[in-house]
Amino acid sequence: MFMYEKKLQYPVNIKNPNPKLAQIIITQYGGPDGELGASLRYLSQRFAMPYPELKGLLTDIGTEELGHLEMIGAIVYQLTRNLSLEEIKKSGFDTYFVDHTTGIYPVAASGYPYTAAQFQSKGDVITDLHEDLAAEQKARTTYDNILRLVDDPDVRDPIKFLREREIVHYQRFGEGLRLATDKMDSKNFYAINPAFDCTKPNKRR
Amino acid sequence: MSERKKLLMRLQATQFAAWELHMFLDTHPCDRTANEMFRKYTDEAKMLKTEFEKKYGPLTVSSSYEASWLNDPWPWEHQGSCD
Repeated sequence: MFMYEKKLQYPVNIKNPNPKLAQIIITQYGGPDGELGASLRYLSQRFAMPYPELKGLLTDIGTEELGHLEMIGAIVYQLTRNLSLEEIKKSGFDTYFVDHTTGIYPVAASGYPYTAAQFQSKGDVITDLHEDLAAEQKARTTYDNILRLVDDPDVRDPIKFLREREIVHYQRFGEGLRLATDKMDSKNFYAINPAFDCTKPNKRR
Repeated sequence: MSERKKLLMRLQATQFAAWELHMFLDTHPCDRTANEMFRKYTDEAKMLKTEFEKKYGPLTVSSSYEASWLNDPWPWEHQGSCD
């Protein structure tokens, strides 16, 4: 189960609202490489994972991504405080505003709503871990692109923190992949899928 | 910076250190140094959390309902430099 802690993983304190930035950054809330997809990917993949280290890792990282989702929500929320209609029209935020006012809704920067079609839970150890490694790099690139577009240090600071987390998670998943392959047939990792082919405990390596 | 915010940041930093070590231990469960550091930061975070909750109300759902659970600020709310 999950329990809530009434604090962010890393502080978000943005002095100056900026609806244009909000519309860009919301992509990490509900976009193709965003935190919602990341969390659902890892927390869903856990169930098929046969190795304890990987169950632990997917649980920890999937949980942390929920904390990141909350941070992105806080950034977007703070960037859209006290907006005038003039600012909304001028910034291009009007296309989001018409559907959601300043409520937080999971969409990509393009306006495309969140969809689980953008991630996989394949039920295959090697496949899922490669998906996870790629996911961390895709999110890292998105944060790099956000940093290219943002000057405000109040916004850059938590975005830089989130970018670093992608790199740390990538590192851990790399170790996880090595741990998994160590337990598999070294001549042919694909000989069996340990998430499906040997479900009897005494047959597990 | 307010006393509340200062203490909260110390707690966030300490909990983060413990969290990072926990994740490291998922793939290095037998690393003795990491285990010791994890224990150190977890103990420190526990103390800071108790201190924070005593002063500013609960951070997690507690066994008895405290009305201060509902108090502002919630985590996503802007806390200006004067708070």
